[in-house]
Amino acid sequence: MSPFLLEGGSVSQMPVAEGKSVQQTVELLTRKLEMLGAEKQGTFCVDCETYHTAASTLGSQGQAGKLMYVMHNSEYPLSCFALFENGPCLIADTNFDVLMVKLKGFFQSAKASKIETRGTRYQYCDFLVKVGTVTMGPSARGISVEVEYGPCVVASDCWSLLLEFLQNFLGSHTPGAPTVFGNRHDAVYGPADTMVQYMELFNKIRKQQQVPVAGIR
Amino acid sequence: MAEVISVGVNLEAFAQAISAIQALRSSVSRVFDCLKDGMRNKETLEGREKAFIAHFQDNLHSVNRDLNELERLSNLVGKPSENHPLHNSGLLSLDPVQDKTPLYSQLLQAYKWSNKLQYHAGLASGLLNQQSLKRSANQMGVSAKRRPKAQPTTLVLPPQYVDDVISRIDRMFPEMSIHLSRPNGTSAMLLVTLGKVLKVIVVMRSLFIDRTIVKGYNENVYTEDGKLDIWSKSNYQVFQKVTDHATTALLHYQLPQMPDVVVRSFMTWLRSYIKLFQAPCQRCGKFLQDGLPPTWRDFRTLEAFHDTCRQ
Repeated sequence: MSPFLLEGGSVSQMPVAEGKSVQQTVELLTRKLEMLGAEKQGTFCVDCETYHTAASTLGSQGQAGKLMYVMHNSEYPLSCFALFENGPCLIADTNFDVLMVKLKGFFQSAKASKIETRGTRYQYCDFLVKVGTVTMGPSARGISVEVEYGPCVVASDCWSLLLEFLQNFLGSHTPGAPTVFGNRHDAVYGPADTMVQYMELFNKIRKQQQVPVAGIR
Repeated sequence: MAEVISVGVNLEAFAQAISAIQALRSSVSRVFDCLKDGMRNKETLEGREKAFIAHFQDNLHSVNRDLNELERLSNLVGKPSENHPLHNSGLLSLDPVQDKTPLYSQLLQAYKWSNKLQYHAGLASGLLNQQSLKRSANQMGVSAKRRPKAQPTTLVLPPQYVDDVISRIDRMFPEMSIHLSRPNGTSAMLLVTLGKVLKVIVVMRSLFIDRTIVKGYNENVYTEDGKLDIWSKSNYQVFQKVTDHATTALLHYQLPQMPDVVVRSFMTWLRSYIKLFQAPCQRCGKFLQDGLPPTWRDFRTLEAFHDTCRQ
C-alpha cells in the first residue's frame, strides 16, 4: 500500500483554479480519471478531530500543551487512529471515541476543529484513487488526492511509478515525495502512514485559514 | 500407360471370361435346381434314385468343366497391374467421359496434395522435436511404442538431493528466502519470498517445477487450514501477469538431463523481479502501460519490458 496525498490544500495551486470553485476542480479531476479508464467504486471519508491537553495537567512541568488528533478512515471502518504531531500513531478499535469522552480531564476537544474529506473512490488496474473535498465546518477548503498502489508494500520502491501515474491526470502539478517516504527507507507501508499524511494535509489546510490568501506559496 | 495397352489386347479374353462366368453360374444353379427338385416322376424307388444320381453327376461335371474353362481364361486376361501408383483406381483414367466425371484428375490432385501434406508434416515434426516443449527426456521418440515404460530417472531423485539443491539456491541469493515443505508426500512445495516485493508458490515434482503462482508480499498465501494455497490467484493484476510470465519461463528453461540447472536458472530469472516497481521499461522508458509496470523479464538479459514492448 502506498498512498500519498496531494497538497490540494490550496485551490490556487490547482491547475484549473483560475475562476473555478473547489467543486468544479474536483469534477475536472474525476472526469480525467474516468477518461483514463478508472472505475467508480463507492465513496470514502476521512475525518479528524483535534484534542488539547487539558490545562489542569499542564503547568507544573512547564510543558507546552501537545495536540492530539483522533481520526477515522472509511477504508478501515473498525479502527480509530490517534496521532500526535511527529509522534506515535495509535491504532485502536472504534470505541476509542468513548474512551476519549472519559478522558475529558486530560484531553479536551478543540472547538470547531473537526475537519474531514469526502469523495469518490476510483479503481484503475491496481491503483486506488480517492479524490475528496476537504471541508471544515460548512466551507470547502481544498482538495485531497490519495493514490494507493496495492501491490507494492515499500513506499519508496514505487514512488517513480506513482509519479508517472499522477502525471497522467494531474499534469505538471505533481507533488514532491511525501516525507513519510524518506523517513523509513524500506519499511512496510501501513494504514498509519496514510493517516499521518492526512493529518499533515489537514494541518496545512487549517493554517492557510489564518494566513491571508495572498501569502500562500 | 503400358498397362492400358495390354488391357486392350486382352479385351477378347475378357469377353470370353465373362461368358464363361455366366456359364458357370447357370450350371451351378442347375445343380441347386436338381437338388431342390429331388427324386420324382419315376415308378420304382430304384429308378428314381438312379436317375437322380445320374442327373446330379452330369450337373457337377458341367460345373467342373465351366470352372476349368474360366480358370484357363483368367490366365489369359492377366492380373490387373499392381505397379500403377494408384493401383486399381488408376483404371479410372480409362473412363471415356472425362468431362462429365472428372474423377481421375481430382483423384490425382488429392493424391499429390496428401503426398505434400505428409512431406511437410514430416518436416514440421522434425523441427518441433528439436524445440520440444515437453520437459522430460524420454518423450522425443516419434512412436508411442518406443517410449520406455520406466519413469524418467529425473523424476525419482531422492528427496534429500532435492533439499540440497534448493538450500544451495537459497544460499546463493541473499534477498530471496526459500521455504521448502512437503505437505503431500514426496513432492516439494516452495514458498519463495523475494525481498518485500512478492511471494511465489512453486509446486515441484522431484526437481521439475510443475506450477508457480506469484502473489503480493502482503497477500495471504495460506488456506484457512494453514496449508499453502496453490490454487487461488493474486488479487492484483500485476501479479497475475507475472504469474503468466513465470509459467512461460517454466517452459523456456528446460534441460532434461540437468534439472538442478533448470531450477537455478528459473530462480535467477525470478530474482530479477526484485525491481518490479523500480525498473522502467527498457524499450519505451516508461513505468506504466495500461496501468501495469514492466512485468516481463527477458530470459537471457533479465531486462525489464512491458508485455507489449518485448519482441
